[in-house]
Amino acid sequence: MPVNYSLLETGSTVSDQKYTLTQREVDLYLDAVQDDSVRHLNGSGTQLAPPMALAALSLRGVVIDLQIPGGTLHVGQEMEFKDSVRVGESLRCIASLASNNVRGEWRFMVVNLSVLRSSGDEVMEGKSTIMLPAENKIE
Amino acid sequence: MKIPQVGDDLVPIKKFITMKQILMYADASGDYNPIHVDEEFAKNSQFGKNIGHGMMVAATISELMVKNFADAWYKTGKMKMRFRSPVYPEDEIQTSGSIKKSEQIGTKTKITCSVEIVRQDGDTIISGETSVTLKIP
Repeated sequence: MPVNYSLLETGSTVSDQKYTLTQREVDLYLDAVQDDSVRHLNGSGTQLAPPMALAALSLRGVVIDLQIPGGTLHVGQEMEFKDSVRVGESLRCIASLASNNVRGEWRFMVVNLSVLRSSGDEVMEGKSTIMLPAENKIE
Repeated sequence: MKIPQVGDDLVPIKKFITMKQILMYADASGDYNPIHVDEEFAKNSQFGKNIGHGMMVAATISELMVKNFADAWYKTGKMKMRFRSPVYPEDEIQTSGSIKKSEQIGTKTKITCSVEIVRQDGDTIISGETSVTLKIP
């Protein structure tokens, strides 16, 4: 069923997904962003997940659950990393709508992001600002 | 670690962006927005060709912070950024930053940096601010 963006209310949860970031996924991510700094840090033994991989993970549910249409642009991002995360940890990614407005040809949505580990402790929080082509609204 | 001072430049990072990398990032992130991965769709967009994911490019800011502040970035890192213009396949980008504030908070020091990513023609792709909190003896 298509998402009716005009009916999404501020404060509502738009995505709530559980993931386990595997070593294979982390390797794929690091190859994609051409980042060797994390592998260098991990040389000491503990395999830590790159912080931005957590951010990407938190956005995955938003892209899928909000059925983000082609042509959507990401215009701003805030993030706060609160603790390191080991590869293989179970994570819960929650996204809620902070604002939702149409301006001209575009719908601007601000989405709050939260990543929790299995203990319930928050390891990352963030805020994404995206602009969707307004013709994608279903009113 | 050398004690960071206001005005110090961070060691910059240079990258060459490829379409292969963009497709790999789509697989890694699950973001298959056609503006990134569909050549025909992108040709008819305002950009005229595929563009890279903003978060793929922004990852170089996180890399910059890890290379300059090691694992403190993992536990205390903050970033706020604006995506100002797109990055295209075959662009060369440079990610750089400098320390603009240093604050003593109890036994720790909070370092705030201005950061930006520019491409070969000088256009700014991303600009923003990062901070990290360090235990400096």
